[in-house]
Amino acid sequence: MARPSPVRLVIALSVAAALAIFLLYVSVAGGTPSIQPSQLPGHKGDVALVGKVSGSPAGDAHADGLRFRIRDVSGSTSVPVVYTGSVPDLFRVGREVRVEGKLHDGVFVAKKDSLRTKCPSKYTTKKST
Amino acid sequence: MPELGRAALVLCLGLALYALVAGGYAAATRKRRLARSAQNAIFAVFASSVVAAIVLLAALLRHDFSFTYVAEHTSRRLPTPYTISAFWGGQEGSLLLWLLILTGLSALAIALARRTAADLVAWVVPVLALVASFFAFMLVAVSSPFATQVAPADGAGLNPSLQNPYMMIHPPCLYLGYVGLTIPFAFAMGALLARRTDELWIVVTRRWTLVAWTALGVGQLLGAHWAYVEVGWGGYYAWDPVENAALMPWLAATAFLHSVMIQEKRGMLKVWNVLLVTLAFCLSLFGTFLTRSGVVSSIHSFTQSPLGGWFLGFICLIAIGSLALILNRLPLLRSKTRMESLVSREATFLYNNLLLVALSLTILWGVIFPILTEAVRGEQITVSAPYYNFFLRIFGLPLLLLMGLGPLVAWRRASLRSLGRSFAWPAGIALAVGIVLLLLGAGSSWIGLLAYTFSAFVLGSIGYEFVRGTRARRALTGGPWLAAFSELVARNRRRYGGYIVHAAVVLLAIGVVGSSAYDKVSEQTLSAGESMSIGHYGLTYDRLVRQQGPNDTEFRAVLDVRKDGSRIGTLQSGKNSYPAEQQTSNEVGIRTDYLTGEDLFVITDQINPNGTIAFKVLVKPLVNLIWLAGFVFLIGSLVALWPSAVEQRRLADRYRELRVYARA
Repeated sequence: MARPSPVRLVIALSVAAALAIFLLYVSVAGGTPSIQPSQLPGHKGDVALVGKVSGSPAGDAHADGLRFRIRDVSGSTSVPVVYTGSVPDLFRVGREVRVEGKLHDGVFVAKKDSLRTKCPSKYTTKKST
Repeated sequence: MPELGRAALVLCLGLALYALVAGGYAAATRKRRLARSAQNAIFAVFASSVVAAIVLLAALLRHDFSFTYVAEHTSRRLPTPYTISAFWGGQEGSLLLWLLILTGLSALAIALARRTAADLVAWVVPVLALVASFFAFMLVAVSSPFATQVAPADGAGLNPSLQNPYMMIHPPCLYLGYVGLTIPFAFAMGALLARRTDELWIVVTRRWTLVAWTALGVGQLLGAHWAYVEVGWGGYYAWDPVENAALMPWLAATAFLHSVMIQEKRGMLKVWNVLLVTLAFCLSLFGTFLTRSGVVSSIHSFTQSPLGGWFLGFICLIAIGSLALILNRLPLLRSKTRMESLVSREATFLYNNLLLVALSLTILWGVIFPILTEAVRGEQITVSAPYYNFFLRIFGLPLLLLMGLGPLVAWRRASLRSLGRSFAWPAGIALAVGIVLLLLGAGSSWIGLLAYTFSAFVLGSIGYEFVRGTRARRALTGGPWLAAFSELVARNRRRYGGYIVHAAVVLLAIGVVGSSAYDKVSEQTLSAGESMSIGHYGLTYDRLVRQQGPNDTEFRAVLDVRKDGSRIGTLQSGKNSYPAEQQTSNEVGIRTDYLTGEDLFVITDQINPNGTIAFKVLVKPLVNLIWLAGFVFLIGSLVALWPSAVEQRRLADRYRELRVYARA
């Protein structure tokens, strides 16, 4: 009788190992929900808020915080945001941004340095000017 | 003029479809003249896509804004090099570049291989033609670069963050990599279709895979350096989906490059190899799809893009078609030999493959996870850097270790005694380095310490291989050491080129670990004359300078830099403000210590109205080894690619052997 090939054993074991590692990871740290302002009610933990910058940004991101609003990409629901840390070059009213944090008394308090703008050149969705 | 471009593209599509149908029919019925005609059609598709490319290039250079594409991606003030680079700055032009490179490479591959591997090439032509037809169809019907409009006075211009010399080289280099993977894929499928499941397709495409893989690797490093100096957040890789898009096929191709050696040497892993090359090609298509469809930002924007559905359909067609073909040919793919021991060179290659594929697939999972969760739960769950870093460590560290082990383990079955002999030196070196680093305080990051110990082991094992080879060579021929060394490399270019690439990967690992596990960050708001310190550096903000550029206003903070108390010069860091585009861009100040590879990285985060500036300063040890790794990687690849008379003779013998085998 032919001995089963060690290759199969290796592959079977590594598939099992990969699954185990994966479960380990998932149990330790999961992903972050990525939502828009209108979906914010009902979320208690940390989320990534995605939307367009609106309102008139004011305040100092390197002192008591930059204040602006984030609005649904296609909608009017918006939420006030307070943010500290580096402000990306592409940050501007109307741009799509993503910021992590959680809702605190009606204000979305962002984690330091978590503000990102979506690169306009890369994700070409439709003709944009 | 746009009519000429459109006509050229329609001609491309027609010729590619002809090559597909006629080539397939000719291969199935073994009609030589028709097969020749299909090959010639591929050459003609290339010629025709050159015409289309010239039309677009001419329109760009003439600022012909009646071309919608030209108006949307350039302006009159844009410097000429960037005007040329706008060719691949947008979606339509990128697709045209894909087609141009694809047909160029296809024509060259067919011309080079049709003598030595005629029966294979007959089936390769329709596969290449299928891919070319898809891209030609997209350009004709879905996303034409030759759409016209009433010409506006000036164009919209190119995004300032793309106005960087790297825009000239980074995208074409990546495209060469993405597209280049089509060639080994087409030959693999051609081999299955032709029922030539011997090693011929691997021997023919070895260089093609190597070129594509090198271009993809170098392209990514260029992109990383671009991000490092231009985007100005202090890093070079952010696990962005667009970055991952290139990393995934590169990892799959790396696995493929290794596993084909097993098939060449031992006739094993045949099924695995065709699966891997299919995976690599699908990932390269997926990469193009990712960067061009908008599917990453949201499943909803995906439906807005006309490109997405077509691309997804084509990827599915390729994946399902290839799998069906592999399944159908499974009986032909049986290995003649089998693995004898789990401690052998073949086994280390197998482990390396499993780890590379696992890493590639976990990255894929991370990229599509938001899309999947949105589809299933209606809410995106994104994974970010912690997810990727976790798996990079889990799979990357064993990979690093294997890179040192592999060359030391004998083929077929390694004996403990021979293992002990060859391991003594590298393991000793690694241990010594680990202890010294621990004493120097590298224990602040266990991952870092482990990675460095492994790196020392790999470098030790590579060095050992070179010394052992040189010594053997010298014993054979006498002569000086240097002559023996260069002869050794010249006679075994693939092997020693490979070791040089391994050394480059170690440099990369050292650079990545050094700059991420041992970096320092400090943020402070300073008025003129105030100082801050970080590590062994001291910085004094001297003054703010304002100057007028061609299309921007440039602010520069001038800082005095001290190291260990003594002044070493000034550094400028600031921002450019582009009024036309209503945009600012960070212009970071970097001071490189070429002796230690360390960078002092100064970001002018915010210039306040009262004259104070919020600085963010990073010290990134060893980061320059990453860029050095790029050069070493390129050198290693070139050594492995360089043709040699010895190899040509070996190849000729091989072809003869395989021909005999095919007849038997």
